Amino acid sequence: MAYSDKVLDHYNNPRNVGSLDKNSFDVGTGMVGAPECGDVMKLQVKVNPETGVIEDAKFKTFGCGSAIASSSLATEWLKGKTVEQALEIKNTHIVSELALPPVKIHCSVLAEDAIKAAISDYKTKQGKATSTEAAVVA
Amino acid sequence: MSTFPKEYYAFFGLDRKLSINEADLQTRFYRLSREWHPDRFSRKGAEAQLQALDATAVLNDGYRTLRDPVRRAEYLLTEEGFPVAEQRSKDVPPELLEEVFELNMMLEELKGGDESARPQLESAKENFLKLRRDVDNELTGLFSKYDASDAQSETAKQALHEIRAVLNRRRYIENLLRDVDRSLNPPAANAANLEERL
Repeated sequence: MAYSDKVLDHYNNPRNVGSLDKNSFDVGTGMVGAPECGDVMKLQVKVNPETGVIEDAKFKTFGCGSAIASSSLATEWLKGKTVEQALEIKNTHIVSELALPPVKIHCSVLAEDAIKAAISDYKTKQGKATSTEAAVVA
Repeated sequence: MSTFPKEYYAFFGLDRKLSINEADLQTRFYRLSREWHPDRFSRKGAEAQLQALDATAVLNDGYRTLRDPVRRAEYLLTEEGFPVAEQRSKDVPPELLEEVFELNMMLEELKGGDESARPQLESAKENFLKLRRDVDNELTGLFSKYDASDAQSETAKQALHEIRAVLNRRRYIENLLRDVDRSLNPPAANAANLEERL
């Protein structure tokens, strides 16, 4: 199976590899995996709590070229988006951007799941932070 | 001309249960192998002989599948309409994902030539071997749960759901152990260093 040029580009020069402090209150972490192929993907977003804009995004993926490319592309797209806009990213967008073949669609699903998981983690943290503040005020 | 069932349980004359007596399975396998041995059909015409060959092939596949608890469960799941490949990451608990991630980080370090990761990797391997034992115990429990219930019941369906999730976790662990072994004991002679020695 031939990888598209875009997949190869992301695979050879992955963007935003690394990690953010997962204990920080403005960082959301999503960890997802595909048992079938043994892939595991960690995706993190750093959000400005004032504006809700994603200021930074990092990932680290152990898996095939398509899984790496999908998460690399996802972090590129996430930066500058608001949390709500980020949730609109669908795996189908990733599939068409990277021209993934049918057997690799699950890689894009994994990336979408990772985005959702990261944002939900961020929201949980914010919810907790707000309720603690409220408790302090009360 | 006699025919034979393509479904493994039926061929071996067994109920569709997940727990199997392996000695009994072996006895049945030997008996059926003798019954269907192609030599016994040598004078019964080409068609009968072909059929005996087919039967022997199904029998061998069936024995390989049924004697292995994991393969047996995968087979029964598929037969009952629960394909194993159909799964999402939610079948894997987050703690396991964390461990898988950490282990992959260590594997990467070791590949990069950082030998200091080796002892950590070895203890991680022990940990994953233990996880696999836990998973296998869990499977045994679920097998009994399935076997004790009516195959059409909700309890049975629920058990199959759980078994599929456990099998997915097991596969994850299995793949990792394979990668770990490969990193700890890399294949000795590959083409490149063979050339060097020549």
